[in-house]
Amino acid sequence: MTDQHHIASAFDRDLESVQAQLMKMGGLVEESIRQSAKALKTRDIELADEVRKGDRAIDTLEEQISLDCASLIARRQPAASDLRTVLTVMRISSNLERIGDYAKNIAKRTEVLAQLPPIEGAAGAVKRMAKEVQNMLSDALDAYIKRDAALADEVRHRDLEVDQMYNALFREFLTFMMEDPRNISSCMHLHFIAKNIERAGDHVTSVADQVIYLSTGEMPEDPRPKGNGAPYDIDTFQESDE
Amino acid sequence: MKDNIEGRKLVDQMDVKFETRDVQVFYGETHAIKDVSVDILDKTVTSFIGPSGCGKSTFLRALNRMNDTIPGCRVEGSLTLDGEDIYDPKVDPVQLRAKVGMVFQKPNPFPKSIYDNIAYGPRIHGLARNKAELDEIVEMSLRRGALWDEVKDRLQEPGTGLSGGQQQRLCIARSVATAPEVLLMDEPCSALDPIATAQVEELIDELKQNFSVVIVTHSMQQAARVSQKTAFFHLGYLVEYGDTDTIFTNPTDPRTESYITGRIG
Amino acid sequence: MTDMPHSNGADGIARDSHGGKSLLAVDARTRKRNASEARFRLLGKIAVAIGVLALVGLLASILSSGLSSFRQTYIDIEVYLDPAKLDKEGNRDRAQISKVSTFGYKPLIEQGFMEAIEKSGVSLDGISEKEVAEMLSKEAPAQVRNFVLADVERIGQTAPFEVLAGGRIDGYFKGRVTMESAERDRNVSPAQLELADRLREAGVVKVRFNWDFFTAPDASDTRPEAAGLGVAIIGSAYMMLIVLVLSLPLGVAASIYLEEFAPQNRFTDLIEVNISNLAAVPSIVFGILGLAIFINFAGLPQSAPVVGGLVLTLMTLPTIIIATRASLKSVPPSIREAALGVGASKMQTVFHHVLPLAMPGILTGTIIGLAQALGETAPLLLIGMVAFVREYPAGPPEGFFDPAAALPVQVYNWTQRGDPAFVERASGAIIVLLVFLVVMNIAAILLRRRFERRW
Repeated sequence: MTDQHHIASAFDRDLESVQAQLMKMGGLVEESIRQSAKALKTRDIELADEVRKGDRAIDTLEEQISLDCASLIARRQPAASDLRTVLTVMRISSNLERIGDYAKNIAKRTEVLAQLPPIEGAAGAVKRMAKEVQNMLSDALDAYIKRDAALADEVRHRDLEVDQMYNALFREFLTFMMEDPRNISSCMHLHFIAKNIERAGDHVTSVADQVIYLSTGEMPEDPRPKGNGAPYDIDTFQESDE
Repeated sequence: MKDNIEGRKLVDQMDVKFETRDVQVFYGETHAIKDVSVDILDKTVTSFIGPSGCGKSTFLRALNRMNDTIPGCRVEGSLTLDGEDIYDPKVDPVQLRAKVGMVFQKPNPFPKSIYDNIAYGPRIHGLARNKAELDEIVEMSLRRGALWDEVKDRLQEPGTGLSGGQQQRLCIARSVATAPEVLLMDEPCSALDPIATAQVEELIDELKQNFSVVIVTHSMQQAARVSQKTAFFHLGYLVEYGDTDTIFTNPTDPRTESYITGRIG
Repeated sequence: MTDMPHSNGADGIARDSHGGKSLLAVDARTRKRNASEARFRLLGKIAVAIGVLALVGLLASILSSGLSSFRQTYIDIEVYLDPAKLDKEGNRDRAQISKVSTFGYKPLIEQGFMEAIEKSGVSLDGISEKEVAEMLSKEAPAQVRNFVLADVERIGQTAPFEVLAGGRIDGYFKGRVTMESAERDRNVSPAQLELADRLREAGVVKVRFNWDFFTAPDASDTRPEAAGLGVAIIGSAYMMLIVLVLSLPLGVAASIYLEEFAPQNRFTDLIEVNISNLAAVPSIVFGILGLAIFINFAGLPQSAPVVGGLVLTLMTLPTIIIATRASLKSVPPSIREAALGVGASKMQTVFHHVLPLAMPGILTGTIIGLAQALGETAPLLLIGMVAFVREYPAGPPEGFFDPAAALPVQVYNWTQRGDPAFVERASGAIIVLLVFLVVMNIAAILLRRRFERRW
């Protein structure tokens, strides 16, 4: 599909440039998740601060990408795969920006958590979860570059694991809090961090959805796989209570 | 459930205005149209797109036998309008053209008054019994052509004195006046400025309530804007025919994709 | 690069041709181009000037020698129509009176002239009565005779006449004859000219506008003063009528068929080529054709406008067909498509839309064809229109078969004659012909303007 060049080579250059920016943004977001998880684990306030500051670059890129896409639509009237590319770039960049925000949020909470006594093993579990989301994101972006719908579909299904990890952590934090009420403050922060990572996973799934739309022209029909027994489920509560 | 499906099918069949099967058009030795089969629906705007020389205009002209006037032109295959073969020897092309009107690339009003431009078709086909009826046809046609309000006070002025966009709408109104069932338009906006183009496009959108409209256009954006069905021609073949939405977001054939994304000329 | 010996020069040239020079300095190449353009303009102006000069010279020569034919010298006399000489029986029988020839009238007129001279008190010193009588045109008795035959009851009365003066007297007033030339001329003496001067002062002889030039028929070699274009104008008018009536419908019908209906094949191509060739055929060939077909084969009378008209029709047809086809071709195809698109038939398309738009071109072509035919001489000579015709042809359509002359042939005819007075007549006839042509061309231009429409 893309082996041929546009007759207007400037169109090709514009499309390539906006996608290059998206990839750069993807790289920044990946890094920012990794660094925030690392900062949490190592209680590194400085690193966390860097992550917070780094989010500004992501936001700027996102703005730049929307402007470029608007100009592309206005000036080139893209159709078919070009149209899907532009639409996809816009949506993915907005997803990435959200993920970046979550990373920043994690960093913020890390700075608070660093003042509190550590919870044994919790940070490691959160980091593993973050690692998984980071891998998913990396694969989703790979799938984007390769226009690989199969890889994207696989990424969507891996979101299930993240959901399950979140559920497990939720239960763990409940246990910690019941054991010692002094843990409640830390656990609440850790829970929010886990929740943020879970949401970031959802956004990565959305990125994978876009990749599938880009390469097939259709949005995936089956609803996004959801981890059974979300914490909102009353049954889960009762189960974990026992 | 079964009844419902059959009912839908019946409606679909009734909706087909032109049914063409394996149409071939030759200009002398040149094979201009190859194996084109397409169903043109009633009360729908169908657009033909494709690079220059792909045969879209030729095929359009085959639909009202305008090709007959070109020496050495031969049409094969089946073209039926409401189930009747339009190339049957018993069909008089003059009668066919009253049923299948045509609007051309360049606005071509007759060098007569606006009134006479519209009244000419109804007069030669005997559609009006008296002056009052003719007046009525002229007014209705000009209203359908979205031109009535602009010209009602100067019907006796020459049609050639109007602006380009008005002239083209006059030509559309003129075609509408003979009470056609299908309107063929051969790049109707290529000589117009964007405002006039928008007015003609708006008109086409209104016309589809009463007519089946087929439009040949070089502007893909125009095809995307006005039509519900799009056919892509390339090198004399009908490459792809389908819903305009699908063609412009997710075409099946790589040649269509390449053309509408601007990769082949 | 820099160590190459020629690089500097090459760079210099490159800079010259690629700019880097001031726009205010005109370079050699531009100067050369401008100079050649100026030379070409000069050449064009010279060509135009030569053309204009030739035209002016031609017009000046024709006007200077021809304008005088529109004025003519007349003598006012009163003639006593003596019954003793004109109607010996006294019963006013027209048949009897017509037996009296012009010789019978001559003495009456001479007597009237003498009386007029006497009454004016001009002396007749040094001039014989015979010489005085010779000052009258030989046409004068015919003038009086025609008057009497028109109304025999006038016999016995004295009637005023304006008779023609002789050709030499007329020539004297127009400057063609001088005292010096009169000395050497057998037909006129200086004494006659002096008398003419005196008579003119006395008001007996006068020069006035010559209506007869347009209405009178041709006259014999000895009386150029009486020669007119009447028969020639009627003959030309009849022929033009025939040409118009025949060639316009034929030509237009043929062109419409060829242009709009005929299939394109070798046969029609052949016809097309031949029509173009026909337009280039020398007109004398049409004359031979007319002689062979219309006179020898069909047995039509010689010198008749009908034959001339038919021959000129053959000549004009290609012109009209070519002009019509060109104007049909110039009607934009979009108009045809528009008409066909609303369901008009081929015939309706042509007659409702194409033909009206082509009309100005067709009319112009027709008028130009007619003008061409009007000025055509050669074929008419061959079919006998050069004959000397004094009888007016009858009214149409019988008149088409009567002998008649034609304007260009009359010019040709007069230039063949000996008397220098006919040169003046011939130039006058050319002026009349030119006026007709100019009027026709103006008509063509006006029609074109009138019918022309924008599309």
